[in-house]
Amino acid sequence: MKRSQRHRRISLITGIISAGVLALAGCSATASASGASGKVTLVVYSAQGYDHAMVAAFQKATGIPVKLDDNSTGPLLTQIEASKNNPNWGLLWVDGATAFAGLDQQGLLQKGFEPKVQWDALGTQSLPSDKSYTPTGVTLMAALVYDKTKVTSPPATWQQLLQSQWKGAVGMNDPSQSGPTYPFIAGMMNNLGGISQGERFFEQLKSNGLIIHPTNGPTLQALTSGQIKLALVQSSAGIGAELGDHKLVVKYLDPVTLLPSAIGIDAKAPAAERKEAEKFIEYVLSPAGQKVMQTGDPTGDSLYYPVLQGVSPLAALPPLASAKTQNINPYTWGPKEATINTWFDSNIVQ
Amino acid sequence: MTVPPDTVPVPEATGTPRPGLHGRRAALRGRPAMWRLGKPMFWLLLIFFILAPCACFLALAVSPRLFSQGPQWFTLSYLHQTFTGATAVAVANSLWVSCAAAALGLAIGFPIAWLAGRTTLPGRRWAAGGMWLVLLLPSWLPALGWERLVQADGVMYRAGLNLPFVTHAIMGPFGVVLLLGLRSVPFSFLAVTAALAGLGQEFEDAARVHGASRIEAMRLIVPMLAPAIWSALAIGFAESVSDFGVAATLAYNSHFPLATYALYQDIGNFPPSFELAAGTGWLLVGAVALPLALQARALRGRSYQMLSGRSRQAVRRQLSRRGTAAAVAGVTLFYLVALGVPGFGAVSASLLGDYGGSFSLTLVNYRAVLHQAGLIGPLERSLIYGAVTASITMVGGFTAAWLLAQRKSKSTRILDFMLLAAVALPSVVFGAGYIFAYNLPIMSRLGINLYQTTTLLIIAYSASSLPTNARVLVGAVSQLQPSLKDAARAHGAGALLAWARGVLPVVSRPLTMAWLLTFCGVFLELPLSQLLYAPGSPPASVAIEDNLSNYHFGVGMAQSVLAVGLALLAVMVVLGGYRLIAPPGWRRIGGTARG
Repeated sequence: MKRSQRHRRISLITGIISAGVLALAGCSATASASGASGKVTLVVYSAQGYDHAMVAAFQKATGIPVKLDDNSTGPLLTQIEASKNNPNWGLLWVDGATAFAGLDQQGLLQKGFEPKVQWDALGTQSLPSDKSYTPTGVTLMAALVYDKTKVTSPPATWQQLLQSQWKGAVGMNDPSQSGPTYPFIAGMMNNLGGISQGERFFEQLKSNGLIIHPTNGPTLQALTSGQIKLALVQSSAGIGAELGDHKLVVKYLDPVTLLPSAIGIDAKAPAAERKEAEKFIEYVLSPAGQKVMQTGDPTGDSLYYPVLQGVSPLAALPPLASAKTQNINPYTWGPKEATINTWFDSNIVQ
Repeated sequence: MTVPPDTVPVPEATGTPRPGLHGRRAALRGRPAMWRLGKPMFWLLLIFFILAPCACFLALAVSPRLFSQGPQWFTLSYLHQTFTGATAVAVANSLWVSCAAAALGLAIGFPIAWLAGRTTLPGRRWAAGGMWLVLLLPSWLPALGWERLVQADGVMYRAGLNLPFVTHAIMGPFGVVLLLGLRSVPFSFLAVTAALAGLGQEFEDAARVHGASRIEAMRLIVPMLAPAIWSALAIGFAESVSDFGVAATLAYNSHFPLATYALYQDIGNFPPSFELAAGTGWLLVGAVALPLALQARALRGRSYQMLSGRSRQAVRRQLSRRGTAAAVAGVTLFYLVALGVPGFGAVSASLLGDYGGSFSLTLVNYRAVLHQAGLIGPLERSLIYGAVTASITMVGGFTAAWLLAQRKSKSTRILDFMLLAAVALPSVVFGAGYIFAYNLPIMSRLGINLYQTTTLLIIAYSASSLPTNARVLVGAVSQLQPSLKDAARAHGAGALLAWARGVLPVVSRPLTMAWLLTFCGVFLELPLSQLLYAPGSPPASVAIEDNLSNYHFGVGMAQSVLAVGLALLAVMVVLGGYRLIAPPGWRRIGGTARG
């Protein structure tokens, strides 16, 4: 081949590749692209059922453009961990303080921000000392759900689940698929005095025929189809099921573990985006925001216990005063999550 | 009379390069510039969009620090962990189950393809069309249906059928093989059907003229379909080993761990253990070397170029009354199991309001879906994503299939392995690999911000669909004779026109099937969608998954049923469009005449 032909060929290939790269780059929108108003776009990662309504209300109230990545908690955390050397998110809004503690310990969360609101007892218990995340509501793990026409004398304590009358009748979620379930397991271990005591409890529960399903939905389905008689699920899921089927009853055994929903801000986001994230948090905890939270998913995530004074939970929620609640330290139990989940999957699920 | 089992010898393809550099240059001389550029560009695209994401993820197993996932620059500890404990058990389970599923898929798919393509099977159009529905169904849906049927206090027991051995069989390895095997049937069906299109009547006639019986003629014909058969086995194995739907439902509830679920657990844990998942990924990638080695050994030294413009239309065999009854019973049984059970699963979950606790039907879930704001957008997006991806993949798949069908060289072997290895990796790995590859800080510094854009999502869909697409086409492409294009060129047509006039008509039907295969695969694809979709623009699968995994299970099932129905409608539109628009000559090739 002549040299001039070879040069033309190389130039043509180089030109095509360069054009392709520029075209791809031009097609891409950056996460921090400015909206038409000149404000920075806030990227929200959220697993809450009312997040669409909240984002729409926030945009309308403030004019700040928002891009919402509405997903399950697992994929959101996977995205954050995989992209931590070049993050693309502004704030994360999911259930479970242990996840936020883990992100905080990796230095991924902005610290020191606390909105000026009046916290109630639940809110105060849920605030981290370094203010790396902000609680927005609380649900409980685990609520006991049963069919009152089939179960006339439900258990009154956790230990009663080990009795022979409940053999093969108790179901719960898999912590490796259901994010809220790990705090339940950690809470049981915390209440019983340690990890080994908790492991012994769940091993006894397994010997008594414990049935595991992936998440709240399938576990509740197992309850209503008659496969199990007692379901241990997130309180909002249980109450939502109760609203749809009045034969179901939600009961809290003592103690029940608090599961805060919280918002954390990406420490590496641009300063402008972090400011907007702070405004988002303030809006969520405002009276208008709380109204959106309670109406945005009325049979799901809206069934939470508020963390602010002056905000009452929806009427469907059982009063919390009668239940003994406990709060686990997410910075103590968060680092143990992978190990405990692995143990649970190897010894209880399989 | 014994007919030699080898294929009918065909002349060496014209333009086949002589060995050595001179031969290569002679072959290239006279080829247009676009052809010379096309092959390197194709390889470049494969490297960027398949090899790079896979390599980035797999590299984590030995160098977590490369992507800020750990302190080690080099370690073998994660690979070592993969060979021990529960992960090793899961991988071993996946390997033998996938072999069995691939074989089952071929054992069912081949006869159905033959009956639908070469006999007077009643309702054969419905049989062929039903395969698309089997393909459209996400693999977890049949698993769910079977569980509801056979679980303790399930429908089977409520109907008075006390069959614990059925429960034990389905809720165990047998059930997993059954479901994965049924899932492999459409791939076998499509691969064999595409190859049957190029199998003219002349081969069977030649055998019969020389006194061969029907069975002896079949012994001649079947080996000619060897590329398609091996492709079907290879893709059935790779798809089974990477399936997550069955692994997360039936296998999970049967306490029968599979590698994909173990890998998912590693990623789903917090913090995620990408390194352990990458170690499992290495084993899955290595596993696909097995079907490839077997395929290479079986096809070595043979040519399968039999498709030309002179291929005669095959004659449909008239089935006897007994044969018709047996064929109809067999095909009906397949669809009853493959569609009836998941259909029951979808009905029971979507038409029963109280989480399926009773048998009273209600449309409350469908009413909730129709009243739910924001459902139409995701469905529209998924239709568009599916159509765009299918179009891109059809071109890429044909190119890859053509390269795979060439004489085996080092590059084609590498391509073969790379494409199949990409199928063996679960989509969640692919998705994470794309984040690692395309969210590197240097990418942002260069102004290449593809992560969380629709562009990257389409690229990922295309890259993950290309290997399967190529495998389905390789059977038909292997049968193309180079003389088809050469004849057009000899009559003065340019390269593109020669391809369009000479080659396109004979591969139009397989290309249409490949397009639909990709469309169906992308429409309800979940793992890639969850990890890579552009914020604010969720596809249908993400919207459906949100309901399925949370409180709105019945609504999620109703959404799934509607989505599958919509995709099926799109399939019928495309097939109907081909029938209306394609010239009669195009439809004649690969078609059959009455016997």
